[in-house]
Amino acid sequence: MAWRRFRRNKSGLIGGAIVIFFILVALAGPYLVAYPPRSYESLYEGDAGDPPSFKHPFGVEISGIDVFSETVDSTRNDLYVGLAATLITTLIGVAIGALAGYFKGAVSDILLGVTQMFFVIPVLLLILLFARVFSILVFKGLGLTLIVLILSFFGWSGIAFIVRGETLRLKEMEFVQAARSLGARPFRLLFRHIVPNILSPVIVIATLDIAGFILTEVVVSFLGFGDPNTSTWGLLLNEGFPYVRTTWWVALFPGLAVVFCVLGFNLMGDGLSDALNPRLRE
Amino acid sequence: MDGKLLQISNLRTYFFTEAGVVKALDGMSMEVNKGETVGLVGESGSGKSVTAQSVLRIVPRPGRIVGGSVKFEGQELLTKKEDEMRKLRGPKMAIVFQDPTTSLNPLYTVEKQLTDILMLHRGLSREDASKQALHLLDRVGIQDSERRLKAYPHELSGGMKQRIAVARALSCDPVLLFADEPTTNLDVTIQAQVLELLKQLQNDLNMTMVMITHDMGIIADMTERVTVLYAGKVMEVAATPTLFKSPKHPYTEALLKAVPTVKQTRALEVIPGNIPNLIEPPTGCVFHPRCKYAKDVCVKKEPELEKVAEGHYAACHFWRELELEGKGH
Amino acid sequence: MQHAISGVNWNSKEKGIEMKSTMRSGDRILEVNSVVKYFDVLERGIFRKKRVGEVHAVDNVTFHIFAGETLGLVGESGCGKTTAGKVILLLEEPTSGTIRFEGRDVVDTFQHGHQDEIKQLRRSMQMVFQNPYNSLDPRMTVYDIISEAFVIHRHIPKSQWTERVYELLRMVNLEEYHAERYPHEFSGGQRQRIAVARALAVDPKFVILDEPVSSLDVSIRAQILNLLIDLQKKQHLSYLYISHDLSSVRQISQRVAVMYLGEVVELANADELFDRPLHPYTQALISAVPVPDPDHKTTRIILPGEVPSPINPPNGCRFHPRCPHATDICKDVPPTFEDKLTQGHFVACHHADKFV
Repeated sequence: MAWRRFRRNKSGLIGGAIVIFFILVALAGPYLVAYPPRSYESLYEGDAGDPPSFKHPFGVEISGIDVFSETVDSTRNDLYVGLAATLITTLIGVAIGALAGYFKGAVSDILLGVTQMFFVIPVLLLILLFARVFSILVFKGLGLTLIVLILSFFGWSGIAFIVRGETLRLKEMEFVQAARSLGARPFRLLFRHIVPNILSPVIVIATLDIAGFILTEVVVSFLGFGDPNTSTWGLLLNEGFPYVRTTWWVALFPGLAVVFCVLGFNLMGDGLSDALNPRLRE
Repeated sequence: MDGKLLQISNLRTYFFTEAGVVKALDGMSMEVNKGETVGLVGESGSGKSVTAQSVLRIVPRPGRIVGGSVKFEGQELLTKKEDEMRKLRGPKMAIVFQDPTTSLNPLYTVEKQLTDILMLHRGLSREDASKQALHLLDRVGIQDSERRLKAYPHELSGGMKQRIAVARALSCDPVLLFADEPTTNLDVTIQAQVLELLKQLQNDLNMTMVMITHDMGIIADMTERVTVLYAGKVMEVAATPTLFKSPKHPYTEALLKAVPTVKQTRALEVIPGNIPNLIEPPTGCVFHPRCKYAKDVCVKKEPELEKVAEGHYAACHFWRELELEGKGH
Repeated sequence: MQHAISGVNWNSKEKGIEMKSTMRSGDRILEVNSVVKYFDVLERGIFRKKRVGEVHAVDNVTFHIFAGETLGLVGESGCGKTTAGKVILLLEEPTSGTIRFEGRDVVDTFQHGHQDEIKQLRRSMQMVFQNPYNSLDPRMTVYDIISEAFVIHRHIPKSQWTERVYELLRMVNLEEYHAERYPHEFSGGQRQRIAVARALAVDPKFVILDEPVSSLDVSIRAQILNLLIDLQKKQHLSYLYISHDLSSVRQISQRVAVMYLGEVVELANADELFDRPLHPYTQALISAVPVPDPDHKTTRIILPGEVPSPINPPNGCRFHPRCPHATDICKDVPPTFEDKLTQGHFVACHHADKFV
């Protein structure tokens, strides 16, 4: 029923198509690229600094890195960050939000307070701070998994709030009261009745979160705090930024990739939002 | 102008939804004479609210009036332009909606909501409008009117909000008032207050009122003539006492028998089945699937609204033959 | 341990026992004694919420229901009738008072009893809720909704579940194929039937019906009311019928209690209460209901003002500010709930004698 509505939403479908495209690129990555990640091969081939051509569709960096290969490889990594972080934050957020919303008293108050605290923390700054300290201590940039972990640790509070609100609302609904009067215990009430009915807004937020987390990674890497040995769009932008006047293709294509990827997820999220939240029955 | 204030003929209003075309009103006709209180009774899906919306031309999307005629004071309303209609809404026709919580704007004080209308339609200055608003509140029986005037809707009780909705509807002295289930959301004793108020205003102002409701008790108490609607079509039209005592349509009879009353304990007779789907309404007579007297012709041919007696019409193939039971049996 | 009146073996740990009751009609299946439920009114502090007052939702309510009968509970919004229903089912905990089901202390069982005892109580007492659009989980099929009872209580072997679901659907005049559908595919009346089927799935003895027909169309109400009456006879059920619609209350109840601002102000046989109401509030309430009879002369007793807030109920008789017959004593002294003159007709009014 909601699927039918989603099918009709043009922008949602376009978003979905874009997302699927990127996922396919990420999966097929290794087969699409001519050069291994972070390789300077093209330097030896004499193509360093070349503009886009048939051999190098997105051009070559001055350092000899093929932009096309890098962009494609980055797709896998950036999507990994976005999806992994979203998965973990959603799980944590739903769990904490549901518990905070369902129970009364000290438990709920503490959970709420913790959520509020985490909500206020500026995640990006924290990552940058951490990256700075990390790089001083370990002489390395932040690897992907580390970024995912930090994002997950700090990024669940938005979902937790929404889930808590929805849980509070649903808790008083008569179908939950009916299950209670049948003898159902809190665990069953929460996970059989309340959470399944919360999924709609959660899915929408999760979809938008994926885009958000990807952007965060891009910023982190762009500012130079990421791992220079891992291909990410942010890293490419970091490498291409100083040479925008000359080898403009280095920044352009990864930049476009970021724009379209984020756009795709946003449109899809929008479409899902419309599809899953019907205005009214007939 | 002769007595007929409102003449609706063969009105068709359809809703064009994702699921299909909902025929909310499919050939509805009704007349209202000046000074009388007419009842429009039906259940959900009958089209009674849509009728009022159609007359005032405020049918919400995806609805649209697709055919028929609505004459008010002799003038055809369906061909009027929007700004012409706007001049009529308020000074000529008004409506009191069912839920005062949503029909009053929660962001503005009572005073502002009333004075806005008065200033717009009557061209009054702000002070004059405020005085008039105060007067209106007194008129609808609100104590402590000065304080209430400055209040916001959420500070007031349901009964009081509904009185303000009535005050708003009456603010420009309309000739015709639609009351769309005005008491359905209210408690019983508050409902009594509001109904008394409407009755009183009806007397004092000699107002013409269309009372839209599903409650046969309110029909019996407040109206002189009744139109019975079912699934977008008129089933029966009669003077109120006649409708109750000698109904000529099976739906009316069934309705009277299915309604419990506080006056006596008696067995209720069930009307089987459900309200029909208005996207694909039943063929022939729209009531036939639930009618205990239905015959072949009822499935094939839609009955016309036939004259039973002066002022009494029924849309049934067998109104002559059937001996239907009304109240007092 | 066999309980004296009901004959139910409470300490049994065997599952799947068909609950038999040896309650005879005339026995009290439910006793509500001096039940009080106050809700705290909280104000947001910086770290904690502060209690600034209490809502007297249910204030010292006492009534009994006999096995096999329907007690109607009427009143307007804010009178506490829905809260009373929830408290009886322990969906809300009472502030004080006792509730006895078949002689057994309900509150005590829920707070200190064994899981099995609690489950048995839950099976015995069920509720059908007001809003058919909210009382069924939109994500579950009808089969899931009705069989949830079996999942929780396991009182029927799994092999029989489908057959039992079909049987319950037939009992409420629905079809077997309805079991595969989702709530949104049904009309309001049909959803209420599903809700009734769900309540019956645990083989209850007592069902609280909270405004079961208020959201339904007039022509559907009779269907549901007749169904409920029918099921009561067939399944030997006792009902508490909560409603503000006095007409339907009269149809289905043997006795009726009237609530105002958290208190029961009158209780009598249905016919007795409607034809000879003794409490001024009851009189006003009944006179306010529009009668579907054009010959009926409406003499409405119009009560002034609004229902006062249950946070600060008036002193003395709570109804006195709006009562046309109030005198000085009514302002100071709360009237006692007594059986005035006629057997079984209880009123809380200083001046009830006037109306007899």
